[in-house]
Amino acid sequence: MPIHFQAIRVRLPEREIFARLGFRKGLTSLSAAERETVSKTIEEASDIVLLKGAALVMDIRDRDDAGITLEGGTVFPSSSLTGMLAGCSGALLMGATAGQGIMDAIAACSSQNLTRAVILDAVGSEMADAALDWIMDYAGQDLLRSSRRLTRKRFSAGYGDFSLENQQTMFDMLQLGEIGIRMTPAKVLIPEKSVTAVAGVLRLT
Amino acid sequence: MNARQKIQHIIRRRVLILDGATGTELQARGMPHGVSPELYSLNNSEIIRSVHRGYLEAGSDIIFACTFGANRFKLAQYDVTDVRGVNRKLAGTAREAAGSRGLVAGDIGPTGRFVEPFGDIGFEAAVACYKEQIQGLLEGGVDLFVIETMIDIQETRAALIAIKEVTDLYTIVTMTYDGSGRTLNGTDPVSALVTLQALGADAVGCNCSTGPAEMIPLITRMKPHARVPLVAKPNAGLPVLRQGKTSFEMGPDEFAGNVRAFVYAGANLLGGCCGSTAEHIRALKEQCSSLRPVPVQRRSISAVSSHARTVFLDRGAPLTIIGERINPTGKKALQQELREGKFSLVNSFAREQVRKGAALLDVNVGMPGIDEKAILTQAVKNLVLATDSPLCLDTSHIDALKAALRLYPGRALINSISAEEKTLEDRLRLAASYGAMFILLPITGSSLPRTALERQEIVRRVYAAAREHGFTRDDFMVDALAMAVSADGQAALETLKTITWCSRTLGCHSVVGLSNVSFGLPERAWVNASFLSMAIASGLSCAIANPESVELMNVKRAGDVLAGRDKDAAGFIGHFSVARDHAVPAPAVQERLSVEELIARAILEGDRDRAPALVDRALDEGVKARVLVDGVMIPAIQKVGELYEKKVYFLPQLIASAEAMQRGFERLEPFLGEGGDVSTTKGRILLATVEGDIHDIGKNIVGLMLKNNGYDVLDLGKDVPPQRIIAAAKDAGVDIVGLSALMTTTMMNMGETVNRLRDAGITCDVMVGGAVVTGEFAETIGASYARDGVDAVRVAQNLLSRKRT
Repeated sequence: MPIHFQAIRVRLPEREIFARLGFRKGLTSLSAAERETVSKTIEEASDIVLLKGAALVMDIRDRDDAGITLEGGTVFPSSSLTGMLAGCSGALLMGATAGQGIMDAIAACSSQNLTRAVILDAVGSEMADAALDWIMDYAGQDLLRSSRRLTRKRFSAGYGDFSLENQQTMFDMLQLGEIGIRMTPAKVLIPEKSVTAVAGVLRLT
Repeated sequence: MNARQKIQHIIRRRVLILDGATGTELQARGMPHGVSPELYSLNNSEIIRSVHRGYLEAGSDIIFACTFGANRFKLAQYDVTDVRGVNRKLAGTAREAAGSRGLVAGDIGPTGRFVEPFGDIGFEAAVACYKEQIQGLLEGGVDLFVIETMIDIQETRAALIAIKEVTDLYTIVTMTYDGSGRTLNGTDPVSALVTLQALGADAVGCNCSTGPAEMIPLITRMKPHARVPLVAKPNAGLPVLRQGKTSFEMGPDEFAGNVRAFVYAGANLLGGCCGSTAEHIRALKEQCSSLRPVPVQRRSISAVSSHARTVFLDRGAPLTIIGERINPTGKKALQQELREGKFSLVNSFAREQVRKGAALLDVNVGMPGIDEKAILTQAVKNLVLATDSPLCLDTSHIDALKAALRLYPGRALINSISAEEKTLEDRLRLAASYGAMFILLPITGSSLPRTALERQEIVRRVYAAAREHGFTRDDFMVDALAMAVSADGQAALETLKTITWCSRTLGCHSVVGLSNVSFGLPERAWVNASFLSMAIASGLSCAIANPESVELMNVKRAGDVLAGRDKDAAGFIGHFSVARDHAVPAPAVQERLSVEELIARAILEGDRDRAPALVDRALDEGVKARVLVDGVMIPAIQKVGELYEKKVYFLPQLIASAEAMQRGFERLEPFLGEGGDVSTTKGRILLATVEGDIHDIGKNIVGLMLKNNGYDVLDLGKDVPPQRIIAAAKDAGVDIVGLSALMTTTMMNMGETVNRLRDAGITCDVMVGGAVVTGEFAETIGASYARDGVDAVRVAQNLLSRKRT
């Protein structure tokens, strides 16, 4: 059974948000007033974001170059994923969303204030990603008690040969509907600032 | 002497020694990886007994039964259902090991899930789960309970409430804080302390996650606010990963070397967590032997908390504003939402009020035709997720209040408890059972007391009754009853007298519902603000008011300064200081620039407000529209594009400049085409996000940049099927079709769309872009690739000039 988190709190990833918006330290020229305006918008956006998540640890039953098989028979056909999970006894499946509120706020200001909309968009993306970091911290603490740890990296459907079709499997196994996520036939998660990923679980000696 | 008395006796004289780690000790004695320590201990009782005895011999006053993960959720992972039996046996094993040498704590840990509203476990389900474990532990003969390694304050509350509803045994509660100084769920140590000690925890503190050095500051932060002894059980350092092996490398002497700092910080109970052994405990005990712990220094505390923030109501501190807007009276839209069980306005009011300076939020959902208990509970759940501000639960229905208090993951303020005989005892008992603060309403029910003297008499009576339930002066605030001066000219003065009496005679806090004083008068804001100022000078602690009133909040800030409640006027100065770094040149310099130069500057600086006004000025001065577009604005936006490509500008600056250009351009549009000026669009470009894809912000940026550079853009929006693109391309005679996609699945629809365009005989160029799109992919489908909005302008220019040559 997956665990669902209805309110994930993260440190506001302001540096990452600025980077996503193209800010480069030492290159980008930003006045104090401009920085204040952007920071204020980021803060307002973070108030609107409501991070939710889901997590599920599964044992890996079988693996070969073509993919991995989890306990219960679920198959993820992907050699990239197999590579990332080399040496792992299990996998942490996770999903997170920044919620519908931020998408509504983006839509509301897109036509009149696209500047604000792109900042809100960046906040939604980075906070959803930060929610995955949080889930890995949470799972990592729990796993340490049973002498296990997570891989540092995680892998999402749609990258390498881990096709986006696997998003359906992730959606079903994590029961993402419980945290307000739905999926289109094209495997697009809604709200749009929603992400899934897989990390490996390693045994410690 | 019973266990509680023993513990209190020890704490008065010296540091009480807890035990160390169990899991790592069992592993050191051969427990395999991945098994449940509880089930292993059941089957290897001699091994767990040796761990217990080791700690007792090392000097532990209390050993923890090996029941940390013995709740139904954790045991279910191993298909074990006899939760009570497991706990009873393991407690019994610890009891046998301890004999008369030490006390045995029933150890309660997390379920691994989060409790509503933070997770998917219902609160009562969590309480029931813990009660099951508690029963078994009691049957096994434990002397006290410890709730430890908790991340979720709500789960912690569920465990503590479960214990308090079953037994009155001493209960230690520790949460686990990471390097940020908060639990993973965002609870800080002080808010946890305020919440848990109010709820009845006998000792509060921290364990696990960090080593001693990182944990000492947490104890330091908690001590000034602690009404109970403080507990610290750090790991033996931070875990070190070497060649796949994790270990805690801090030895006993180094571990115990932190004892002095812990004791000076205020810890009264010390032990060890992961990686600690009997030797660590022995060393700890030895170091403690010469030290006297700092006793508990507070009997009471005026504070309310949420899961992530505490608001202290210190005497002499600035006035605390309790935001009043979450109240359906007179708000049709809010009434409608509440009837439908929706809370977006509630959340929105909460956020706005906090932004404008409310420290607490009054939550009132009372209106006819709703189930107030259900709606208030839902409102509380929503608000807990929407804001960190502590809540003031405003209801006259005791069932609604009880449900909200039970679920609220903090120490709430109750609005209110009156002197009415038939409700007073029940409400005081309810407030006491959840450790809430309350607003004392000096009304007996028969009539409103007009004078300060009448109110004082009622307050004294209620205070006497409250003391019977363990309340102190710090646990309530008196509603000084602001009444309408339009009805009684002396009303404000009587309220001010009541406030003064509370502050200077009784020594308690006071609160008023501010806007009542001006009821029935015109220009109410002036009356409210003046009254507030007088009330602050009289010693008012809190005001239930609308923080969105700028006058009110500024009067509050000024009043705090004048009443000596804002030290060095720091808050006032901080609020009104505006530090601006103006990129716009000083006015003298600006006057020397021509209007064309000013328009270019406005576009470069993304000044959307000035750009249209400057364009109007240019037109008034006789500058031709076409000259402005081609000679000033387009070069300016192209300069912006260059700065963006060099990363001197980042995306918000690019878009702000583009929007400034767009707003200026809108002013010019009616004039383009006049007097022989032939409007020359550089080309017509159709934009669409392909079928199945709903992302459009990148496309919108491209559209804006293209328009600004003189292209006519037809934007079909998102999730656009090929046939619509074909039809629009034919009808509009476009020069370029631009397609956007963000997903690897929808990207494939780009190829499909291009094929269908060609099949339909449309031969115009196609330009594609999106996060997963690459130049190589574009080539395979016969399209050109544009990296971003600036690149799209260049690509469009190249495609069209190639077409024309």
